[in-house]
Amino acid sequence: MQVSERIKVIISMIGLDGHTMGAEVVARLLRDAGIEVVYLGVNQTPEMIVQAAMHEDVEAIGISSHASNYNQVVELVELLEKNDLKHVKVFCGGNIPKHKVVELKDKGIAEVFPPGSSGKKIVETFLNGTRGGKWSN
Amino acid sequence: MKRETDYGYEIKSVYTPEDIAGVDYGRDLGDPGVYPFTRGYYPEGYRSRMWTRRMTAGLGSSEDTNKVLKRYYRMGQRGGLCVISDRVFSDCIDPDHPLGRKEAGVLGWPGCSFLEFEEMMDDIPLTGHSITLLGSCAPTTLRLAYVVALAEKRGDEIGLIHGSVMESPFENYFGQTDVQPFDLNLKLFLDAAEYVLRNNIRMRACIISQHFQESGGNNAQAIAVELSMLKEIIGLLVNERGLEFDTAAKLPYELFSIGSRFFEEVAKMRALRRMWARLAKEEFGAKDDKSCHLLLSVHTSGRTMTYQQPLNNIVRCAIQTLAGVIGGCSALDNATLDNAHAEPSALAARMSLNTQHIVACETGAADVVDPLAGSYFVETLTNRIEEEAYKIYGKIQEFGGMIKALEAGYIQKMLTDEAIKKFQEIENGERLVVGVNHLVLPPGEDFEIPIQEVRGEDSEKIAHRMQEWKKTRNLPHLTEKIVQLYRDARKGDRFNLMPSIIDAVKSYATAGEVMGTIRMARGLSYDPFHIIECPFALDGEASAHAAA
Repeated sequence: MQVSERIKVIISMIGLDGHTMGAEVVARLLRDAGIEVVYLGVNQTPEMIVQAAMHEDVEAIGISSHASNYNQVVELVELLEKNDLKHVKVFCGGNIPKHKVVELKDKGIAEVFPPGSSGKKIVETFLNGTRGGKWSN
Repeated sequence: MKRETDYGYEIKSVYTPEDIAGVDYGRDLGDPGVYPFTRGYYPEGYRSRMWTRRMTAGLGSSEDTNKVLKRYYRMGQRGGLCVISDRVFSDCIDPDHPLGRKEAGVLGWPGCSFLEFEEMMDDIPLTGHSITLLGSCAPTTLRLAYVVALAEKRGDEIGLIHGSVMESPFENYFGQTDVQPFDLNLKLFLDAAEYVLRNNIRMRACIISQHFQESGGNNAQAIAVELSMLKEIIGLLVNERGLEFDTAAKLPYELFSIGSRFFEEVAKMRALRRMWARLAKEEFGAKDDKSCHLLLSVHTSGRTMTYQQPLNNIVRCAIQTLAGVIGGCSALDNATLDNAHAEPSALAARMSLNTQHIVACETGAADVVDPLAGSYFVETLTNRIEEEAYKIYGKIQEFGGMIKALEAGYIQKMLTDEAIKKFQEIENGERLVVGVNHLVLPPGEDFEIPIQEVRGEDSEKIAHRMQEWKKTRNLPHLTEKIVQLYRDARKGDRFNLMPSIIDAVKSYATAGEVMGTIRMARGLSYDPFHIIECPFALDGEASAHAAA
């Protein structure tokens, strides 16, 4: 894959969740695929993530959720919309029950990656999900 | 498919006496109950003391958690109870903090005040079984204060209570994060540890490799990290707090994460017993044989619980439980079949406890001590992991110990690299996981399981209750205790804060109030998130102190 123009994304934890390893692994997978990753780390509120998205001018946000606090991911999507950042796609991964996956997608989360998702699929989804996927091959 | 241990030792197809020709029974193994305790601490093994069979509880309100604890007892939980805190209490803010409101009672017990502990322990004795309260490091002091305060209130003799409520500051690096700075966490941990050791309270501290390993570390790294943490903490208690090694050695327990690679897991437990015994005797000069005992608890591995085909997790859990039992554990709590989906459902909890009961009653595994001793393979694995762990341990010591190795980023890099390696091994098919990268079912055909709901409105209810309840406390009395705590917290790291924290807790100071006060005394913001202000007039205290 050739990346002629860099895609920039945020990877972040949300709320008080401290289980960072999933986010760190995904951040490294994306970087290895040539995507620029801004890793925000722990204790990020939806407001802080939106601020960072504006400041960093990112195209997508990946949230790692291991603490049943996925409602804050929904808040994040709503807040992006309020701030005219609807084009910023939100992806989410973690131990999220199936019915919640459906709910999250209904509420505008572009994709949810449950445990055991393949790294290849995660990278492809980020690539396809940003700027119409013109770098996807 | 790889045929090597998770730390990269290539496994042969057969093992013979030649592989263990160098093993000297007396020097390297010894009978159970005899140094170096490779074979365990008790000559009679589980016949003299059955392992504690428990499940971790903690979700929703304190009343909910109380009900779950009673339900677990009815399900056959024996020997002890174990409760994990929610993220709010772990961070020492309160449920009525703007960030606390969203996550109170989510992912654990919302134990932000003594009232919550009283409610959780309603009609449950403090004695006669072990009390284990998990969470992060800073609230170690609060959890200990709750136990001391409730014992006093109920008239229980504190010496009769046992368990573990303390958590080392190192877990902060391995997923069990809180928001307090490392130096504060370390100070509070040492205060609590010194308090229990000097007052003969039989409370252990978790200085454990579980979080490291569950975050992706391998078995050899886990042992190296565990020994390094023990050396650092016990060293500080001896050298800085002036305790005898044989006293300080009563503090720690290890919680091993036990995965499915059965023989390696058994070997790992045997190796750590031997390595701790040698460290205790040779480096710390243990006088008492008991100081060479490191209490080993087991948590079967949550990270091996798959999202796909979740009923397969019952099988994984059974294999891991058997490994933990054969390895010789003191207590065991299981991951649950639904770990990758949600918090444990009642069905999943029952299956996990039943798994332990089946191993205990039906397999015969508890009848004989260290049944795999003498196996050419298992003894080789015990030696191999020991060798590999000593190499990593040696590197950590070259940095100057665990704290220095963390400051240098060595441990974190080792962990992330290993987590990524494990991820890629599954991605590449070098390691097979049934249902994930082998024999995969289409999503529509996957097994369905009951899911434990976590409701957002429960958090708000907990938050609202605390907000209203706070106003009903004896505020002058509370303020007096908070001011005392503030003054004491300005007396330097060696001034033990446990007595003033216990006083504050008895006056129903909350987690946020206690930690905020300590933070202010150390020149930090009251609120680690910089959202709320300190409700007490401590600024006057600060300037009065400065003027004096």
